[in-house]
Amino acid sequence: MMTGTSKITLAARRASGADLAIIAGIELGGALLLGFFLLTDDWRLIVALLAVFAAGFALLQIRPAIEDRIVSAFHAARAQALGLGAVVVLVYPFMMQGSSYALHLLVIAQLYAVLALALNFQLGSANIPNFATGASYGIGAYCSALLAIDFGVSFWLTLPIAALVATGFGFVLGFPSMRTRETYLALVTIAFGIVVHQLLNNFSWTGGPNGLVGIPAPTIAGHSFTAPIELFGQRLPSQANFYYLAAALVALAIVCARRLHDSRVGLAWNALRCDELAARCQGINVVWYKMMAFAVDAFLAAFAGSVYAAYVSYISPDNFTFLVSVTIMTMVIVGGMDNTLGVIVGAFLLTLLPEKLRIFADYRLLFVSVIVILFLILRPQGLFPQRPRSYGGR
Amino acid sequence: MSGPVLEARNLSIRFGGLVAVAGVDLSLSAGEVLCIIGPNGAGKSTLFNLISGIYRPSSGSVHLDGRAITGQPAHRIAAAGIARTFQSSRLFTDLTLVDNVVIGMHCRTRSGVLDALLRPRHARAELEAAAERAGELLRLVSPDLYQRRHTLAGALPQADRRRLEIARALASEPKVIMLDEPSSGMDDRDTDALIEDIHMTMAERPGLSYIIIEHDMRLVAALPERVMVIDYGAKIAEGPFAEVRQDRRVQEAYLGQRAAHA
Amino acid sequence: MDAFVMQNLMNWLVLSSIYALVALGFSLLFGVLNVIHFSHGDVSIVAPFVVLATVQALIATAFPAATPGALVLACAAAIVVVGLIGVLADWLVIRRFRNAPAMMALVATVALGTVIRELIRMIYPQGSNPKPFPNLIETRLMIGDLTVPVFSLFVIAVSVLMMIVLYVVMRHTPLGMRIRAVAEDRNIARLMAISPSRIYAATFFIASAVGAIGGIFYASYAGVVRFDFGIQLGLIGFSAAVIGGLGSMQGAILGSLLIAGIDTLVQATMAEGASYRLVFAFLLVIFVLVLKPSGILGRTVMEKV
Ligand SMILES: Nc1ncnc2c1ncn2[C@@H]1O[C@H](COP(=O)(O)OP(=O)(O)OP(=O)(O)O)[C@@H](O)[C@H]1O
Ligand SMILES: [Mg+2]
Repeated sequence: MMTGTSKITLAARRASGADLAIIAGIELGGALLLGFFLLTDDWRLIVALLAVFAAGFALLQIRPAIEDRIVSAFHAARAQALGLGAVVVLVYPFMMQGSSYALHLLVIAQLYAVLALALNFQLGSANIPNFATGASYGIGAYCSALLAIDFGVSFWLTLPIAALVATGFGFVLGFPSMRTRETYLALVTIAFGIVVHQLLNNFSWTGGPNGLVGIPAPTIAGHSFTAPIELFGQRLPSQANFYYLAAALVALAIVCARRLHDSRVGLAWNALRCDELAARCQGINVVWYKMMAFAVDAFLAAFAGSVYAAYVSYISPDNFTFLVSVTIMTMVIVGGMDNTLGVIVGAFLLTLLPEKLRIFADYRLLFVSVIVILFLILRPQGLFPQRPRSYGGR
Repeated sequence: MSGPVLEARNLSIRFGGLVAVAGVDLSLSAGEVLCIIGPNGAGKSTLFNLISGIYRPSSGSVHLDGRAITGQPAHRIAAAGIARTFQSSRLFTDLTLVDNVVIGMHCRTRSGVLDALLRPRHARAELEAAAERAGELLRLVSPDLYQRRHTLAGALPQADRRRLEIARALASEPKVIMLDEPSSGMDDRDTDALIEDIHMTMAERPGLSYIIIEHDMRLVAALPERVMVIDYGAKIAEGPFAEVRQDRRVQEAYLGQRAAHA
Repeated sequence: MDAFVMQNLMNWLVLSSIYALVALGFSLLFGVLNVIHFSHGDVSIVAPFVVLATVQALIATAFPAATPGALVLACAAAIVVVGLIGVLADWLVIRRFRNAPAMMALVATVALGTVIRELIRMIYPQGSNPKPFPNLIETRLMIGDLTVPVFSLFVIAVSVLMMIVLYVVMRHTPLGMRIRAVAEDRNIARLMAISPSRIYAATFFIASAVGAIGGIFYASYAGVVRFDFGIQLGLIGFSAAVIGGLGSMQGAILGSLLIAGIDTLVQATMAEGASYRLVFAFLLVIFVLVLKPSGILGRTVMEKV
């Protein structure tokens, strides 16, 4: 008998010194790379950093064993990796040399990471096209903004309400997926997105094309999110408040993503992604699971929307167009479908790249689109491809 | 014994002008093995599709344990206890073998979205237990598959795909299992092993009933107690293999086509 | 019938014609390549810019100002150039996604659309601003108490002609036969000594050239063109093709009639029609697809198991 072999997977290994070194190297190196990237204005340094980043991936492409080694290190020392990651995230604003621009970029990138993780439930896990994530995002933003402006509801209360409203929208959006599929379903979601955008543009109670202004910022225990943070003799710009809020949201999204991915639900989504008919024959209620994917997507996207509205204090329909949905979709595909880390990296890359390419002023949109196309051609599986689930001893 | 586990009466379906299945009656009692044979395009696979809810019959009825399941959606029928494999295997190729089998247990596990989000420990434990059972099942079907349980199903050779599909079907603890040409793409040695496997699972799960579509007459001769012959959508003969193969209409249906094999 | 109704009927037919010229391209490309060429609208909208540029070049050199000849020549040039741009788009980008999942090609062509828009904006002088576009035919006919722009009749006539030409080409010429053979099964077509890559190029040329006519009409109808008009034109053409049933030419025309119909109806009857036209057009899209998941004339193929 092979006793207990079913428990032995690559995950059950004890953490070694090498594992810890790898983890520290990756996390600190990544943070450093990102930090330089955020803080520099020198285009030569930006290009050099991008080259380092690209070289890293070229290396992974050529030697997949390196990736396996890294993954196994993170599995072996999960707790340490998480702890170090949390510390990095917490102290990161202090490393930004008080640059409110860098913090602003981090807030936006984190919100997009949440949106991309939300869409990943559908596009990555279940391969359902959804071009309406931008609409769910907008519904969340408008819902909490209106509640705050017109009824003076506290931000912390608008957050769950907006999420519930958007989840309802998600169900409505998912309803046609009962029968339509693929390109046809893609068009249904595009149509929903446009209808929502146009309605926001036309209703007077949403402020029409001018949108809503003066959305109040949240407060915690008397501390307004518009005030700077004074801590340990350091003074962080007010953006830091939203940085931490967005980071908490990313953490929530990651937890949701992990829990759903490693559950019966994630398996059912993966099953219908691969072969819908075979999935039905395993007893999977395909329609229900598709609706759930839409609902979960809308739920998380609405959170991001609420935070965005409170952060910029001004929203208009043009923040939530079809092209926003496409951008989110691109983040998922570039990052790597059904890979949580990949999706987050994709979101950061595609948020920061256009900003940092501002030096190319007029050419940056062109630049980004060309990069996206090249990406789809050269590394269609994304930066971090999907990895097999591991069971046992975790 | 009480009534039949599975009973189909007067089952028919037409695709445009083509009557693919024409008034087929079928009855299966617990623990029985029924083999369906017939020339290409006779309507055998379509019969499976009708029973498993992929197609909706134009007329007729299907009962499982006396309960009508006619025209119900496929996932309900799977949950009610009918599992199947496909003629050209339909595995979840981008998932591991264990994942494939665990998905087969979908209707024997419970956790939903809220469980996964709010009671992760519970949901996880359920999944781990399922994976544990999946490992056992794979070991039962083939130690080789068990060894490879953490690799992707898409990388398996043909014969192993068939085995994995059978394991996935068994995972749902069905009352009836329907195998569509399980030996296709297998060589003689694999087929012998397959026959072994089926004998073994029969011993392991005495109540389980089988319907097997087969072209390989060795398998037909070795396994079932009863054979049903379909031609042009209609049942033309039914009985023990030794009798059925003497039937004049059966020989005519197979003439030139499968006579050499038989 | 009163003039108001006639006026709107006319608008409806003109809009349908323009949408159909774009929708036909989507349908043709999907039918042959099974690919959604999302940047088709952007490719089409290059045409009016080529027209403007050519007219200016001609005026600057040989032709005296505003000769109709210059405009005709410019349109012809635009149609050919845009046809070639379509071929180029396929050759550079789209062909690399022939065997990839549909979603990849969709996202790649969305990005390609951005590339095309940005290129227009950067290459055309002051490309970010809207450009006035001439009415192709200024003449108006007086029929009873009704003024009918000859342009409208021209648009309808050209579109109908293009539909007939496309139909004849696809059904009754060797090229059409080859295209359909490749659409059916490119490997079998290869065995019949048909080179699929040439057929793809031909298909892209035809679809883009027809789209170019639509783009020119669209600009001329609006009297203005901007680098990003292709998004909306593409979305509407795509929607028309999809609700009609992708791959079906009749479907593309039917879809265009429906979308242009609701568009005209909303604008004619609602006070704020202009701002709600897209809302109703896309609600119609949702409605049709919920009722007919594969479009009105699309075939629902039951998967053989
Ligand atoms: N979805 C469908 N639409 C149209 N016709 C179909 C469909 N499914 C099956 N048919 C037709 O029904 C007939 C029976 O097909 P079926 O697959 O059941 O045959 P079979 O007995 O399984 O043959 P084989 O031994 O080749 O597997 C065939 O003529 C087939 O073309
Ligand atoms: Mg068959």
